[in-house]
Amino acid sequence: MSLLRGSPTRLRNWAPKAGWLAWRNYDFQLTTYAVLLTAFGLAMAYSNTVGSTHEPITIDSPFVRSIMWGVIAVVVLGLTTVFDYKWLRSFAWPLYFINIGLLILTLRIGTGTGDAGTAARWVKLAGFQFQFSELAKIIMVVVFAAFLANRQSTIKSPWTIIGILIVLAPPWILVLMQPDLGTSLVLVATVAGLLFLSGASLFWLGTLATAVLAAIPFVWTRMADYQQARLLTLFNPWADPQGAGYQVIQAQTAVNAGGIAGKGLTNGAVALPVATTDFVWGVLAEELGLIGSIVVIILFVLLLWRIVACSWRAQEPFAMLLGAGMAMMIFFQVVVNIGMVIGLVPVTGIPLPFISYGGASLVSLAAGLGTLQSANLRRERPEW
Amino acid sequence: MRPAMPSMSGDLKNVYRFSMFVLAVAVTVTTLGARMFWLQVVQGQQAYRGGANTQLTGIQPVPAARGLIYDANGAPLVQNVEDYSVTVTPIDLPPSMEELVAQRLGSILDVDPVLIETLIDSSTGSLYEPVKIADGIPGQVAGFIEENSDALPGVKIAAAQKREYLTKGLFSDVIGYEGRITKAQYDKFKALGYSDEDIVGQAGLENYYEQDLRGTYGYQTVALDAAGKPIPGLVTKGADPVSGNSLTLNIDSHEQQLATQALAWGIQAAKVKKGVIIVENPQNGKILAMVSLPSYDNQLFADGISATNFQTLLNSPDQPLVNKAVGAQYAPGSTFKLVTGTAGLQDGSINDSSTLVSQPFIQVGEFRYWEWNRKGWGPLNIYQGLAHSSDTFFYQLSQAVGLKDLNYWADQYGFGKPTGIDLPETATGIVPTNAWKQATQNEPMYEGEIMQAGIGQGYDANTPLQLLDAYCAMANGGNLWQPQIVKSITDGATGAVTDVQPVLMNKLPASAQTLQTMRVATRAVVTSRHTYGLVDLPIKVAGKTGTAEFGVPDKRGRLPYHEWFVGYTPANPYVDDFTQPDSQLAVLAFLYGANTWGNVSTEIVKLYMMLHYKLIKRQLYAFSRRTPGYIPTWVYRTTNFYGNANRD
Repeated sequence: MSLLRGSPTRLRNWAPKAGWLAWRNYDFQLTTYAVLLTAFGLAMAYSNTVGSTHEPITIDSPFVRSIMWGVIAVVVLGLTTVFDYKWLRSFAWPLYFINIGLLILTLRIGTGTGDAGTAARWVKLAGFQFQFSELAKIIMVVVFAAFLANRQSTIKSPWTIIGILIVLAPPWILVLMQPDLGTSLVLVATVAGLLFLSGASLFWLGTLATAVLAAIPFVWTRMADYQQARLLTLFNPWADPQGAGYQVIQAQTAVNAGGIAGKGLTNGAVALPVATTDFVWGVLAEELGLIGSIVVIILFVLLLWRIVACSWRAQEPFAMLLGAGMAMMIFFQVVVNIGMVIGLVPVTGIPLPFISYGGASLVSLAAGLGTLQSANLRRERPEW
Repeated sequence: MRPAMPSMSGDLKNVYRFSMFVLAVAVTVTTLGARMFWLQVVQGQQAYRGGANTQLTGIQPVPAARGLIYDANGAPLVQNVEDYSVTVTPIDLPPSMEELVAQRLGSILDVDPVLIETLIDSSTGSLYEPVKIADGIPGQVAGFIEENSDALPGVKIAAAQKREYLTKGLFSDVIGYEGRITKAQYDKFKALGYSDEDIVGQAGLENYYEQDLRGTYGYQTVALDAAGKPIPGLVTKGADPVSGNSLTLNIDSHEQQLATQALAWGIQAAKVKKGVIIVENPQNGKILAMVSLPSYDNQLFADGISATNFQTLLNSPDQPLVNKAVGAQYAPGSTFKLVTGTAGLQDGSINDSSTLVSQPFIQVGEFRYWEWNRKGWGPLNIYQGLAHSSDTFFYQLSQAVGLKDLNYWADQYGFGKPTGIDLPETATGIVPTNAWKQATQNEPMYEGEIMQAGIGQGYDANTPLQLLDAYCAMANGGNLWQPQIVKSITDGATGAVTDVQPVLMNKLPASAQTLQTMRVATRAVVTSRHTYGLVDLPIKVAGKTGTAEFGVPDKRGRLPYHEWFVGYTPANPYVDDFTQPDSQLAVLAFLYGANTWGNVSTEIVKLYMMLHYKLIKRQLYAFSRRTPGYIPTWVYRTTNFYGNANRD
């Protein structure tokens, strides 16, 4: 049976199956949820542009920029869908080194202001600010998936875990040097989720987790003051309401103010720090209320469901691990971003996928989802 | 039917682990949803019923207008004016623009751009905290910067009140100056609502009456933006500030001017650096003039004194920043004989007709204690002893009285303790007791030192004001009044005027007879021509001279000396009657480190009296040899130390 179906697939390896048949496997739900979430993101960008400051919509405003990035994201989504994801597996190592190169470039020529005063997070490309650490998240998913897919036979070995940590280390350190604690945490969470779902040894994972917990006191002493303060304010934001606790208090005040129905788009009044990215959930909760918030959360759940389904249906480990990595990455970012706004997790600079303003994030997500769709299209569908 | 999953190992897609992941998503998402429900529905509604403000707000103090200061005639000595300062907020200044902005600001303010950049870069505070670049800039320049704020990102103009002193340094030592609150002051005033950036009085009346002058600050509530900065316009009024209380002084600007003129003449004539003149009403302790030279211009402080200027003033050996009337102590010399004489009369060692024999010197062990003219006058009574300022007379008297009694009367006259004047009093003098000598030098007072204490030499030290107070107490019949600069305080809110009442610090336990004897004896100092031409004035002055050697001898073994004179007039200055304790005017003059033939301090007091009683016109050149009280030039010629003019 596989012999009969095998030959045409091999021949048209670079493209999906001929004609409309190929698109039977296209997951329209996945794309729809992503587009709906992006629509919410555009709404937030619009609100942040005209809401508080009443500035005119110019070419530089977050809203116009978001639309431009949205268009680019759609093109990227289409291109990656058409592109055969299996090529990525063989391109994994070149991608990995390109990624490291981009991160070093960011450190060398990047600009940006962070809480620590100076930070190198942004690279200007033809008038667009681009954050390569966002792209790094997706590239690293591909690299990890390829790494684990190649080690299927020895997946239970502790060397699998050690190996993937060695792969993780260079980009992780480069991201931390920016400094970008948020992205570094996302990378760790993605690795942890991938190891767990790929079937790595629970014993060695447990050992590693214990070791990490034991190292926390040491890491704590090495953290920058602002990072420590952010973590501590989770437990008592009112300890320093004008300083580190300020963001947390303001964010919860904004969420409070939203009520059930919200104040309506652009009517948010609570002043929020970095309202376009890290604390966009505060704006959303205030302006769209509980109803809007729950709708967005449900959209995220549905999106995750479609990604996990794509992963579950995959017929080869690379595709399955791509889906698992994407699911873990998006899930972690959603939980941490929303959680920090509503005071459940410490404040870390992690954007909310699709909603936060940021071209790199949106384009990277589109590339990731496109790759998953590509995997969907090229799945050998059992004909029952 | 077909076989499941042909190309995957069963291990890879572990159904339990996928289920765990799905479960984790379900649990966390439910938690998020529940928390949103809690915040937005349960807590949110409560917050709104409670009327909670959605905006984080901050409370800003609204400074009150600082109280003003008027002279005795109601003429203002100080006013509050608008002062503009330039600040740069680092967060609003892009690093790429910093150099450009520094250059532009530098050319506007005429400051080195490198200095501006250094100021911005070396700021240790938050990036949101404005860094002060310059203050006291003219309103015109401030307006220019505001108009061009587009070209100067991060640069702001702050307007504040500042003091403008209207008398060009005439009252610097009395009024003092303001400055940034010190750590000690902040700790002390924190409970009263002071902030650690407040400007508070640092010297003089500005310091002593700080809380009166400050008034009550109001406050306003301001909305804060995401960065914690106040949003302009979103201001809610809290309490209005209440203006500070205003002070009216006992000092008349004209009298202060005359006193300054007299002292400045004396300092210039005697070729010295430091001097003090104080005028007081003995009947109630009101200070009518107080000048300490060299002084400083307190407007420098109001305008924001530069660090180098401040260091120059602070380190100058002439102590321009010290009000030497209350902030420094000197040996009183023969003026202290008032205390020794009172002690002798009170404990019966002498009476007003008994005599002690003045001699060339008194021998104590191997030491000889010389009469100041090295001759002596033979037997002297108290009037003659004080008139000649006979050292041997008072050596014998202090031997008879003893250290304990001498110190008792010094204490009764107010030596060695604060006078209670309404100025920061940083010196209180020394009355050398056995206990004091033991504590500081670990030995008792020797016989010779007790004798020297009786003539105001050795360890004796007092502030000029303490000495004047003691003479006032003698002149008014034994009442040691608290010296007072301020006559009345006008409430800043109601305008109600509260007069400052005289405060009796001590009632001398001396008999009226004793004090009358001392008054007549001080008049004898003048009438005996010990003070030369002072007696020729149509007004009747009594007083006592004093010189006190101190410091290091020069090459020929000669010591510089302080020159003192305390003089006072009776209620009717044209009637020669000092039996009544009715004096209305007492004047003290002091010169530091003089080296003159005569006692120039006497001439300073004389000159002040002549100006005060309008015996001469204001200009010194109106003086001629025929004028009564003409000051002969030999008085202030530098001494050759061989002659013996009556300066002691």
